Amino acid sequence: MESLGVDLMERQANSELIGSPISEDEALRRLGLTDDASSRYYAAWWLGRHRSDDPRTITLLLEALRQRSVHNPDQDLDATAVARNAARALGKLGQAAHQAIPDLLRALDDDDPGLREAAARALGNLGAREAVEPLARRLKGGPAGPGRAQQGSARLVEPCEALLEALGELGVANSEVLEVITPFLDHERPVVSNAAARALLQLTGQPCWGERLVAMLRHPQLQVRRSALLDIGACGWLPALGPICATLAENSLKLIALRGLAEAAPSPGSAEAVLTAMDDLL
Amino acid sequence: MTTSTPHGELATLIAAVQGACTGEALLEATEALSAKADPGSLGCLMEILTFNNPGAAVAAVEGLIKIGKPAVAPLLANLDQYNYGARAWAVRVLAGIGDVRGLAVLEQALAEDVVPSVRRAAARGLGQLVLDGLGPEEREEATLRCFTSLEKGQSDGEWIVRYAVAAGLEQLAPALLSHPDVVTQLITNLRSLANEASEPVVVVRLRADLALRRLNDQRLDRSISTPELSA
Repeated sequence: MESLGVDLMERQANSELIGSPISEDEALRRLGLTDDASSRYYAAWWLGRHRSDDPRTITLLLEALRQRSVHNPDQDLDATAVARNAARALGKLGQAAHQAIPDLLRALDDDDPGLREAAARALGNLGAREAVEPLARRLKGGPAGPGRAQQGSARLVEPCEALLEALGELGVANSEVLEVITPFLDHERPVVSNAAARALLQLTGQPCWGERLVAMLRHPQLQVRRSALLDIGACGWLPALGPICATLAENSLKLIALRGLAEAAPSPGSAEAVLTAMDDLL
Repeated sequence: MTTSTPHGELATLIAAVQGACTGEALLEATEALSAKADPGSLGCLMEILTFNNPGAAVAAVEGLIKIGKPAVAPLLANLDQYNYGARAWAVRVLAGIGDVRGLAVLEQALAEDVVPSVRRAAARGLGQLVLDGLGPEEREEATLRCFTSLEKGQSDGEWIVRYAVAAGLEQLAPALLSHPDVVTQLITNLRSLANEASEPVVVVRLRADLALRRLNDQRLDRSISTPELSA
């Protein structure tokens, strides 16, 4: 399943761009405009959003991702933003994008935490199991290490939420991975500890992690309830159906969470209960 | 406490909404006010839609839907000055009340609104307009307009809008029984939403498939010639 969280973030980040329709050819042309970062930024997003299957798409996205490694301090910011969107787009392109996995693994070691975050999510989306070891390595040290808040920034040392989510999505539940994830359950930021619980639920299927996420649906902060909704949806954890409907949050987010439940439902009967709940939220 | 007259009680409830300092307090006050379903609370409930407090807005939407027809004209009059969030809630109220005066707003919202949640609510509403009070010709015209609008919404770029279209088509189907050709077309539309080749999102396919199964159970296909439906 695609990462619902990324979808949402992307929609927010690009919401001002939606509504200016262009063709696939036009998007590919704009992605080739190496001196126009904002055109490339939009083009990269467009090609991912529309699941472009043009043979040129992967090549151009890879170029956009690689140009990040050419260090040019004057234009680094823009090139980085383009590279981030290229990584996100590659994560949406499925099988065809598997040739990009080595480059995405390299991006996981980039200096820019935003690009590391985009690369981690993309690797998770692509099911790149070879990313498990490097992802786990970046998380070693727990909340006091990679999970430490950086001075003067809202960011942590590592994009822990994305790294944890990717590990959960990749589904490799060996003891090393579980040991790396577990300390983040105690992270001071609820969205990070939620991401740890989500990964553990995906990897172990143990109900205690689902119950922990469900309890977060009653958290006083809307932002935390929203993140718990997306986490539960990504796990498709069916026992959360009632609590999802009852939590105080936008219907749009509840519907995204319920989509995850319906698509993971083991039988038409259990899916129908979810669909009925979704109808009430339309 | 002045609870002796309805007016006094209503005034107290409205004052509680206006005096709420926290989100929780606003939610509780809105729920209490909505439970009255008093047309005298229309202005206050409509204002709550603009507060960017989803919990309170849900409660206000419920109250406005319970008030029903008296809420339609004031909502239509206020629609233009609403922000997107409030517009989405207002479209949801109009969809819930199902008054035919909201039809043009729902049509326009599904076709043109830039916000997916508004288009979603509109699609839902187009499937559940209450047309009982209308003459046969007006009813038929309104039903066909709903169908045409939903049919266009089927190609929306957002999965949740297509999902709502599938739900809307299912609800609309019984009203179209006098038009077997249109029902056939409606079934074709649902089949396309249920088909992996034309619909990439699993949950949309699940919903369209559920609609087809339910319509089949209702024997809607008896009046029309769609032998594949029972497959």
